[in-house]
Amino acid sequence: MLRGAAVLVAALCLLPLVVVAAKALESGPAEAAELLWRPRVGELLRNTVALVVLTGTLSAVLGVGAAWLVERTALPGAGFWRVAFVAPLAVPAFVNSFAWSALVPGFEGLGGAVIVTTLSYFPFVFLPVAALLRSTDPGLEEAARSLGLGPWRTAARVGTAQVRPALLGGLLLVALHLLAEFGALEMLRFPTFTTAILDQYEVAFDSRSGSVLALALMVLAVTVLTLEMLARGRTRHARVGGGAARRPPRARLGRGLPLALASVTALAVLALGVPAWSIGTWLTRTDQAYESIDLGPAVGSTVVLGLAAALVTTLATFPAAWLVARSRSRLAVVLERVTYLASSLPGVVVALALIALAIGFVRPLYQTAPVLVLAYVILFIPRAMVTTRAAIAAVPPELSDAARALGDGPARTFLRVQLPLMLRGTLAGAALVFIAVSTELTATLLLAPTGTETLATAFWSASSSLDYAAAAPYAAALVVLSAPLTWLLLRSSHEEPSR
Amino acid sequence: MRRRTVLLASAAAMAVGLSGCGSDSLEATGDLDEDKLTIYSAQHENLTEAWGKAFQEETGIEVQVRYGNDSSMGAQIVEEGESSPADVFLTENSPAMTTVQNAGLLAEVDGATIDQVEDRFVPSSNEWVGIAARSTVLVYNPSMISEDELPASIMDLADEEYAGQWSAAAGGADFQAIVSAILQEEGEEATAEWLAALKSDAKVYQNNIATMKAVNEGQSAMGIIYHYYWYRDQALEKVSSGNTALHYFRGQDPGAFVSVSGGGVVASSDRQEDAQAFLAYVTSPAGQEVLMTEDVKEYAVGKGDESDPALPTVESLEPPDIDPFTLDQQKVLDLMTEAGLL
Amino acid sequence: MSDLRLSGISASHPRTPVLHDVDLSVASGSTTAVLGPSGCGKTTLLRVVAGFMRPDAGEVHIGSDLVAGGGTWVPPEKRGFGYVAQEGNLFPHLTVAANITYGLPRRDRKDSARVAELLELVGLPGDHAGRRPDQLSGGQQQRVALARALARRPRVVLLDEPFSALDPELRVATRDAVAAALAAEKATVVLVTHDQAEALSFADQVAIMHEGRITQAGAPVEVYRAPTDRRSAVSLGEACFLAGRTGDGVVTCALGSLPVRGASGERDVDLLIRPEQLHLGVDGGAGCPAQVTRTEFFGHDALVELRLDGVDGALLRARTIGPLTPPVGSRVSVTVDGEPHLIDR
Repeated sequence: MLRGAAVLVAALCLLPLVVVAAKALESGPAEAAELLWRPRVGELLRNTVALVVLTGTLSAVLGVGAAWLVERTALPGAGFWRVAFVAPLAVPAFVNSFAWSALVPGFEGLGGAVIVTTLSYFPFVFLPVAALLRSTDPGLEEAARSLGLGPWRTAARVGTAQVRPALLGGLLLVALHLLAEFGALEMLRFPTFTTAILDQYEVAFDSRSGSVLALALMVLAVTVLTLEMLARGRTRHARVGGGAARRPPRARLGRGLPLALASVTALAVLALGVPAWSIGTWLTRTDQAYESIDLGPAVGSTVVLGLAAALVTTLATFPAAWLVARSRSRLAVVLERVTYLASSLPGVVVALALIALAIGFVRPLYQTAPVLVLAYVILFIPRAMVTTRAAIAAVPPELSDAARALGDGPARTFLRVQLPLMLRGTLAGAALVFIAVSTELTATLLLAPTGTETLATAFWSASSSLDYAAAAPYAAALVVLSAPLTWLLLRSSHEEPSR
Repeated sequence: MRRRTVLLASAAAMAVGLSGCGSDSLEATGDLDEDKLTIYSAQHENLTEAWGKAFQEETGIEVQVRYGNDSSMGAQIVEEGESSPADVFLTENSPAMTTVQNAGLLAEVDGATIDQVEDRFVPSSNEWVGIAARSTVLVYNPSMISEDELPASIMDLADEEYAGQWSAAAGGADFQAIVSAILQEEGEEATAEWLAALKSDAKVYQNNIATMKAVNEGQSAMGIIYHYYWYRDQALEKVSSGNTALHYFRGQDPGAFVSVSGGGVVASSDRQEDAQAFLAYVTSPAGQEVLMTEDVKEYAVGKGDESDPALPTVESLEPPDIDPFTLDQQKVLDLMTEAGLL
Repeated sequence: MSDLRLSGISASHPRTPVLHDVDLSVASGSTTAVLGPSGCGKTTLLRVVAGFMRPDAGEVHIGSDLVAGGGTWVPPEKRGFGYVAQEGNLFPHLTVAANITYGLPRRDRKDSARVAELLELVGLPGDHAGRRPDQLSGGQQQRVALARALARRPRVVLLDEPFSALDPELRVATRDAVAAALAAEKATVVLVTHDQAEALSFADQVAIMHEGRITQAGAPVEVYRAPTDRRSAVSLGEACFLAGRTGDGVVTCALGSLPVRGASGERDVDLLIRPEQLHLGVDGGAGCPAQVTRTEFFGHDALVELRLDGVDGALLRARTIGPLTPPVGSRVSVTVDGEPHLIDR
């Protein structure tokens, strides 16, 4: 039954891909090839790849560097920095680019795009790497030291090997986000596949050319997923045997302390200070009559849609996450990975596919909230998948044996043992989904019931007329809404190494 | 133990609350409501809202609006076909309306409404009606380029001497309407060359405002936009246009193109009467006055209705003699795709 | 009357057979230890009994009920056994009391008297009821796990290496407490272990397992004294083997002709001699002369390696009282206490 549910979820996630592929190849592969084989696509490919590589590299450097400073050195105020480097998750990338463009005239192009996306996405690397560094067994590093490796070579050889799975997982999220990013890049005049697909949609609603580009984007996503899987390999990084579960030691920074402090301060200022200052400045410009802006409806629909999507998405992750965490059978891994594919598509592509399906097959659902929530599920399921899988894996399967032996059937065992133990972890996944939904733009614009406005769409319509003062309250509301959730994420990453 | 219980309880409450309030509050913010007149609007939100509110007050007919862009919304109505939820469709430019008309999805507009509008803003089919008009302009930064250095024709922007100096919002429907005027006036080959120059020599911005702002901030010397963005900003604090001036091409140049915003009644709508009433209101003197009062600054199209006095009259713009109702949108898109702009 | 009966059990992990035609029966109220090296299939056997795993063939009876085999399959929660695993597997999100009452019907879960009674049974103070598992030592966790398993008064208790994760000192104390609690409950117990001392001291019956088969089962003294093969002999403790030949009630070997039961006919055999059976006398005394080649000193006793004079490579090991260990290189004479056990080649 579990397998059936996992197959169903995977099939739902594949639906948009099927629609896109069908549309792209509608008039034969020859025309598709023609649409694909042109200089514009080459330009988009170069831009997209450059952005993924540069932002990925920078995020890795900043994320791992910050995590090491915070978790493994005697940097003062580790608790504060830990929060500071997760908090950028509460600032959507397009709010960030709005902040930078409002502050720095002419802030645009590849440089601007790399800066903004890095500052928005490096926490995806920081969060898991910091959690890992905090929890990894110092025994291995001590062993390396005893084998004659100096502290730096120990960090390079043992440290990187240990950090690798977390780093790769974080980079995967960064890359998939970049592939699907629209708002920030559109604002910064940096065309990628996703912004070009949006242009195509704007001129032709459901154009073949847009579908061809979406297909190309999908190939990119598959490439990223494959690379990550290959890099992860089959190596084992778990602790073997009951080694010491001690707190790792903190390196003394000595004369490097001022430099370290300056670096973390600079990073925090760039990632948090700039958007905070920018939004704050525009908020306090009193020339705008704020009475005329009623945030209520936008906040309300954002919260309701976010909660609904978070709940449904988390539920949808369970079957595949369970199978993967418990059996790691090839089928399970495929079912899990399939759900990552559609999420790299821009929201508009998924939305158009669902519109086509709704118009064609379930007319009464057209332009209703359930279809929008389904789009959110398809777009954001990987975020919850990662955390749900980890949460399930963290519950020792032997505990369910114990519960079975005490007379509970599988269902009651799940309710009384597994669910309570997984709850915090899955809540973190749900929080990620909520944040993603609250900042989602393009699918919301297309699928939302007529008259429904979310914070993101309201922000976008104000900010695309470059009306910074009118956009600022929505940006602030978005940040305020996400802030408590990032705290939840931090908490759950603290607890992960419980076993 | 207690903490666990609280967590569990709150999760359950969340789930229950969702199923309850989910439908409630979405309905409140507007799940598609059969009792309201549904407008698909590609027009600006402030303008649509002003019309909708005034219409609602005058007639008591409730209105709900779905916003989008010209081309995508037109295509969306075509895709929705006979069962489109839309009752009324409003555009910024004529090509998208033509697309819907050619799909046979528009009802004929009431004769009384048509009579309210100047003839040149009404297509011969009478299946939609002009509701406002906007003029192409070149916004420039006098500190970067002097008035006498400006191109005489929009076509001259393709000349080498202007390379790197001009910009446009090439991705938007507004610009594509301008290109379709160029196509009709100058032919396919000249248009393709001009677009190639745009691709290699000009900067492409997200929209008209961003284009104007870039000129204002000195990132580009000239930009092709519609007139009202500039006039609106001038009427406010000139934040995005203080350093700029406008240049009109006039003389029947394609760059003097005046674009018609349209309104149509969707044929499949079962609220024909209300939909017709809405168009009648929009084109009435009261509806046309909104174009002045709401800092909209678009041109009025009603017979005898005045536009904002700050604007030069449509006649003085010497627009090219272009039939706005036969603009070939698909050809424009093909040419732009070939040029690598899309 | 047996409380647990396995007959003809075969089981396999994907693509690897683990158990082959295993028969075992455990008498009511008795304790059976399944002894074997890791990987021999003993945990799999326990999982089959518990119902965590389905056997490929064979039947499992708990009491008079068939719970697996012949088309019958009773899920673990319906089998009514108690189960304690290697690491206790206490539910980390529940207190000690909630862990103990986990398997009870809802109305009994608030019964603090029952919790106190069970804590006392396993030798833990009653104030531990409110603690969380991570506030307990390993030995305490195991005791709670046992209390949890006993709370439902199961007919059969399954123990899967419950003491192996504990420190030696804690291990003995915990084992004693567990044995006492189990005896008080008159439970039928199956203990799986790789520790021969644990198996021999804890159980009424020891079943020796090797490569998925039970090679021998019987009372501890019996299997220790008279194992059926060399492997079983070694798995139960230190053993020396001397090659010999039977003839007329005696076996002739490097230690001379020794009277051995079953030594009839003429054939080549191995003689099992446990180190504690060898007695070392002063050089030149009665017995075979030998030289000490190595000693291993444990404190209370020691193992002494001897080379018998005259015969090539005949090495023996003897256990001596620690302080009386002869030095390496010294000469001794060796005699055998009690009868060696004959193992057919």
